[in-house]
Amino acid sequence: MAKKRKENQIGRYRILGELGRGAMGVVYRAEDPSLDRVVALKTISLANADEDRKSYEKRFLLEAKAAGKLTHPNIVTIFDYGEEEDLAYMAMELLEGADLRTRMRQGEIAPLEAVEIALQVADGLGFAHETGVVHRDIKPGNIMLLERGAVKIMDFGIARMRHADHKTSTGMVLGTPRYMSPEQIAGQPVDQRSDIFSLGTVLYEMLTRTMLFAGDDVNQIAHNLANAEPVPPSRSNPAIPQIVDFITARALKKDPAVRYQDAYEMAADLRDALAEMRGRAPAPRNGDAEATHTMKLEPGAHKPPLAPAASAIARDTRLPLSRLFDSEAALERLAVPKHSARLARAPRQVGLLRRILRDRPVRRLCAVALVAALLGSWIAIG
Amino acid sequence: MPAAQPSVFASVAFLKIHDFGRRPVVEQTRLRAQLEAAVAVTLHALAEPSRVVLDAADGVALVVFGDPRGALRIAERALSAGAAGLPLAIGITHGAVRQTGEGAGEGLLGDGIAVAAAIAELAGPQKLLLTREFRAALADAAPGAEAAVAGAGTHTDASLRSHELYRPDAFAARRRARRYAAATVLAALCLVGSGAGYRAAIEGPRAYAGRVAADLKGAAAKAQERALRLLQQTGR
Repeated sequence: MAKKRKENQIGRYRILGELGRGAMGVVYRAEDPSLDRVVALKTISLANADEDRKSYEKRFLLEAKAAGKLTHPNIVTIFDYGEEEDLAYMAMELLEGADLRTRMRQGEIAPLEAVEIALQVADGLGFAHETGVVHRDIKPGNIMLLERGAVKIMDFGIARMRHADHKTSTGMVLGTPRYMSPEQIAGQPVDQRSDIFSLGTVLYEMLTRTMLFAGDDVNQIAHNLANAEPVPPSRSNPAIPQIVDFITARALKKDPAVRYQDAYEMAADLRDALAEMRGRAPAPRNGDAEATHTMKLEPGAHKPPLAPAASAIARDTRLPLSRLFDSEAALERLAVPKHSARLARAPRQVGLLRRILRDRPVRRLCAVALVAALLGSWIAIG
Repeated sequence: MPAAQPSVFASVAFLKIHDFGRRPVVEQTRLRAQLEAAVAVTLHALAEPSRVVLDAADGVALVVFGDPRGALRIAERALSAGAAGLPLAIGITHGAVRQTGEGAGEGLLGDGIAVAAAIAELAGPQKLLLTREFRAALADAAPGAEAAVAGAGTHTDASLRSHELYRPDAFAARRRARRYAAATVLAALCLVGSGAGYRAAIEGPRAYAGRVAADLKGAAAKAQERALRLLQQTGR
C-alpha cells in the first residue's frame, strides 16, 4: 500500500493534516488540487475485510453513491469517492464546528436548542429517506453543529459497514447500539423508521442528558431497548412542554408501525413544538428545578418516575404522581398507620346478616316475609 | 418518606385515551389537555384525602381509597366527557398499591395499577370495564351496589391473565329491585297461603271456607256498624 501511494496523498487529494481517528479509519483535512478546495477526506481501511472484501467494497461504493446524491442543507455534501490500494475514501465538505457529542459533553443544551437541532436532523433525514437512503447510524457523534445554529448529518453510508461489523460482535461494549432501534439491534431489516428511533434517542439525550438505553453490553442494551419505557423528558425538566414528551414518545415507539412513519412527519411536530416553546416565556430556573435536574444525573440516585403507556404497565406497575393534580392529602393520609391499616384490609364477602341489614331490596323482602310468616302462623294456629 | 410503605387496597380507575400512540402529536396534545380538563372537573366529587392521580403516557390513573362507589362515579362521569370527543377507555379494579419513590419520582406501584391498565387496554373506546375484585369491593362498601354492574365475560389480557369483567348497567339495579319486589309478593302470598292451607287441612276445606266466610261477614258487619256510628257522631 505504502509503496504505490504517494506520501501525503490519497487519490488526487493532498493530505494537509489529520482531523480525527476512529475505529474504522482516519479523517484527514485534504486539498483537492484540481478545484483548489479544502475537503474532509474520510478513509476506511479495507485491509481487515479479506473474507468478503468484494461485497464489502461493493456495499461501500453503493452507499457512497447513495450518500453522494444527497444535496441538502442539513446533510454533509459528498464530493467524491474512490479506492486506492486497501483504502476507500470519501471526500466531503469540510465542516467547521463541533459534533453534538462534544457539545453535550461541554454542558447542558437548552430544550429550545435541542428541539432546533432535532428539527434540522429530521429535515435532513426526511430528504435522505425520500432519496432512498437510510442512515442507520444516527448518533450525537454523527451530527455536526456549525456556526449560526446550522446542523449537518454526517457519515451517510459508512454506517452500513459499521453494522456489518456490529453483527460479528459478541457482546462487547459498543457505542452505536445505544442509539439503535429495537429492530436494528435484533438484526432485522431496517427502514427509515429506524433512523427516526435513533433521532428520538438523540433528542431524548439532549433534553435529559441521560442515555436512554444504556447498558454494559449489546445484550443488555437490547434488553433495555425491548423493555425500558422512556420517562417523559418533562419529568426531569419542567421547562420542556408536553408536546415534546409526545414527540419523543412517538419517535421511541418500539413497534415501527406506530412510530413516525417518516422524518418529515416528525419535523412537522418538532416545528409545532418549537413554535410553542418560542411563544411562551422561558420557565423560571429556580432552585427546585435545578435540584431535580441534578438528582437525575447523579449516579445511583433514585430512578426517575416512569409513566409507561397502559400496554407497558404490566411489566412495571409503577406510575408517577400527576404534576397537575395535588395528591398530597391522600399520601399524608396513607402515612398515618391507623388509616393505612384500615385500607390494608381486602374486601370481605358480604354475609347474610350484613346483606339483610344493608341491602334495601333484601331487607324489604325479609321484612315482608317475616310479617307474612307471622300472619301465616297466626292463621295456622287459628 | 420511609422506603418501604405498607401496601393498601384501593380502587384504581385507569383512564386511557384510546389509540393514543397512533395519533398525531398535535392531536395527542389536544386530547391530553381535554383529559386533564375532564379529570379536573370530575375530581371535585371526591375528597382530596381519598384520591391520588397518577400520570401515564396515554392517560391517567385515579387511585381512590376507601370509596369504590366514588371511583365508579368518577369514571362514569369521565366517560361521559367522551361525548365531547375524548375517546376514553376505562378499566377499574380494586387491588393492592403501594407508595414508592420520593421527590420527582414519587408515585404508586402495585398490581392494582397493572390490572386497571390491562383492563383499559381491553376496553374499547367509550367503554368502561371493571373487574370481579372491584365488584366485590363495591359489594363490601355498600351491599347491593354491585347490582349496578352486569357481566361482560371473561377476557385474557396481553400478559395472558384472565379477568372476569363487568360493565355498568343502568337498568340492572332496577331489574333486580323488580325481581326482589316480585319475590317479596310471592313469599308473602306463599307464607300466608301455607298458613291458610294448613288450617284448611285440619278443619276440612268446606268447614274452613265457611268459617272464614262467616268471620269475614262478621268483620264486615262490625266494620259497617262502626262506620255508621262514626257518621252519626260526625253528624251531631
